[in-house]
Amino acid sequence: MIKWSDEQEMVRQAVRDFIDTEIRPHREELEFGDLPPYDLLRKMLRTFGMDAMARDNFAKRIERERVAEAGTGEDDTEKSSGGGGARDANSVAFSMIPIIELCRVCPGMVTAMGVSMGLTASAIMSKGTVEQKERWALDLLTMDKIGAWAITEPDSGSDAFGSMKATAKRDGDEYVLNGSKTFITNGPHADTIVFICKLDEGNPPAERTVLQFVLDSGMEGLEQPKAFRKMGIHSSPTGMLFLDDVRVGRDRLLGGSEEAFKGTGGRKASKATFSMERTGVAAMALGIVDRCLELSVRYAKEREQFGQPIGGFQLIQLKLAKMEVARMNLQNLVFRHIEMAAAGEAIDFAEASAAKLYSAQTATEVALEAVQLFGGNGYMAEYEVEQLARDAKVLQIYAGTDEIQISQIARSMLGE
Amino acid sequence: MNVVVCVKQIPDPADPGALDPNTKTLKRDVKLILDESDSYGVEMALQLVDTAGGGEVTLVSMAPNSEVGGLRTALAMGAAKAVLVSDEALAGSDALGTSKVLAKAIERAGEADLIITATESSDGYTGTVPEQIAELMGLPSITFAKSIAVEGGTVKVQRQTEAGYDDVEAPTPAVVSVTAGVVEPRYPSFKGIMAAKSKPVDEVTVADLGIDASQVGWAGAGQEILEIAAAEEREAGTIVEDDGEGFQKIVDYLAELKVI
Repeated sequence: MIKWSDEQEMVRQAVRDFIDTEIRPHREELEFGDLPPYDLLRKMLRTFGMDAMARDNFAKRIERERVAEAGTGEDDTEKSSGGGGARDANSVAFSMIPIIELCRVCPGMVTAMGVSMGLTASAIMSKGTVEQKERWALDLLTMDKIGAWAITEPDSGSDAFGSMKATAKRDGDEYVLNGSKTFITNGPHADTIVFICKLDEGNPPAERTVLQFVLDSGMEGLEQPKAFRKMGIHSSPTGMLFLDDVRVGRDRLLGGSEEAFKGTGGRKASKATFSMERTGVAAMALGIVDRCLELSVRYAKEREQFGQPIGGFQLIQLKLAKMEVARMNLQNLVFRHIEMAAAGEAIDFAEASAAKLYSAQTATEVALEAVQLFGGNGYMAEYEVEQLARDAKVLQIYAGTDEIQISQIARSMLGE
Repeated sequence: MNVVVCVKQIPDPADPGALDPNTKTLKRDVKLILDESDSYGVEMALQLVDTAGGGEVTLVSMAPNSEVGGLRTALAMGAAKAVLVSDEALAGSDALGTSKVLAKAIERAGEADLIITATESSDGYTGTVPEQIAELMGLPSITFAKSIAVEGGTVKVQRQTEAGYDDVEAPTPAVVSVTAGVVEPRYPSFKGIMAAKSKPVDEVTVADLGIDASQVGWAGAGQEILEIAAAEEREAGTIVEDDGEGFQKIVDYLAELKVI
């Protein structure tokens, strides 16, 4: 893939027109107020028929899984959810394009959408039973409901599993869940929460099985406090979750049994989700860089100092040239992801980490250089680059910090 | 109900390219897009077919170099098929020449209950093509529609006027021009965009339509562009400094203009 196809270009233009008309006018309320992004995201999905496509795909997949279950007694969930099986290049591109285009305006909206439709729905689709998928995942895939994926805790960030304190204890046929989660995207608004915790059987924490449960907002003992104030991505509400003796039946245990999570199974299930989360960051970075570059080129032509447009100065030209190199690299990364998905090749964990590391650092560098190019204006909220620079920074922190990505890339090379 | 919509494919107004100094016309060798003025007619037609519960929307267009970029947009919105007239002989066609070609192309598109056009294109602005098509086809013509309803064999139109609108009726088939901005054109869905690729575009030449090439293009044009000139630059506006009484200065200014 060397460029977007005609159809992909049409999708890109249509999505950009929609965002310019329907979302950009709300940037002020989304980024400097408290307008939640969900209704606008739902409108985007409905407008382009993405919700109907999700329903169709879901119905086909469930039918396939039922046939597989009935026929062989095996579940092909794993095959259809992971890297196995080629996907149509257009369908992959059509999922990337809204990410790129939204990130030109409100990267936070992508975070909110990605965590709900991506992480949370995918966790259920990859590990849940057919009944659980029907009960929770479809509404997340269409954004009729909002999802949150809860792993991080006040004392467990990068060391997500090692320091995890949230627990599940068996009590007859039920489990009792306790714990605090933090930095949970969509936490304050989530209807459906995938809660990741350790099964406390009285054994040492390091040996405990990691389990995932699906919770509904309003359950007794579940508290969803209001959103944090953050440095950036204000259009993505982020909050804490508190669980105080939340009682759940086995129907809420993802997969319906502890067996799938025994040993390192629970960790692997969450890692698969990490990998998907990381590949999406390249598309986000591309959107941020693309917009920063567009604004910077325009400004370099219009802004005059010392009697000439500042684009005439070589130091400004250097910034623009580096931004363009970054844009090209990110676009190639996105194209590679599309190609690999179309070829049925899974991106391994180390490559996903490498792409995430490069994309996050590049987006932050470019956005800060855009602020520098705009000078005093760039530091003012009125000019979009200020917001994009604050937003870009989170890419180096969430979905695994830069430091974690570096160690994972190195460990894969050193064979650890 | 079957509706034909005449659509023009024009250079992107955001990047319109240049005028050809020899022909004094807009260069059209760039990628062309759907004229925004036509997107309202396409939307209106799709709504009418939806309301009728059956039928289809067919596009008719005349463009150089077999251009289908703009047609694909309208097909992605939901039109079923298109007739495209593309022929080197059409270069230089004036409004009447264009109308002769479109009238024949509309006949080729099949039986239609209604023919919808924009009131004028965004690049040529002659604003005469819809009525000329109606005359050539011997059909009634209604202009400046803000809403259209078809009941039985009658088309009922609210025709925009300076004061409001007139209720106008005509027997179908009729040619109705639609005012820009009266409906919200839909965005093409992703599925629609994919489907557009395989929708039929019947590309024809002037000869296929049974038109003598001498009647169209430069050869048949009854009008000649003698001179083109750049539009006058807009005068700089008046800057009102707000010294705390800025609102009064604005009120005085508007009163001076007799606006208030």
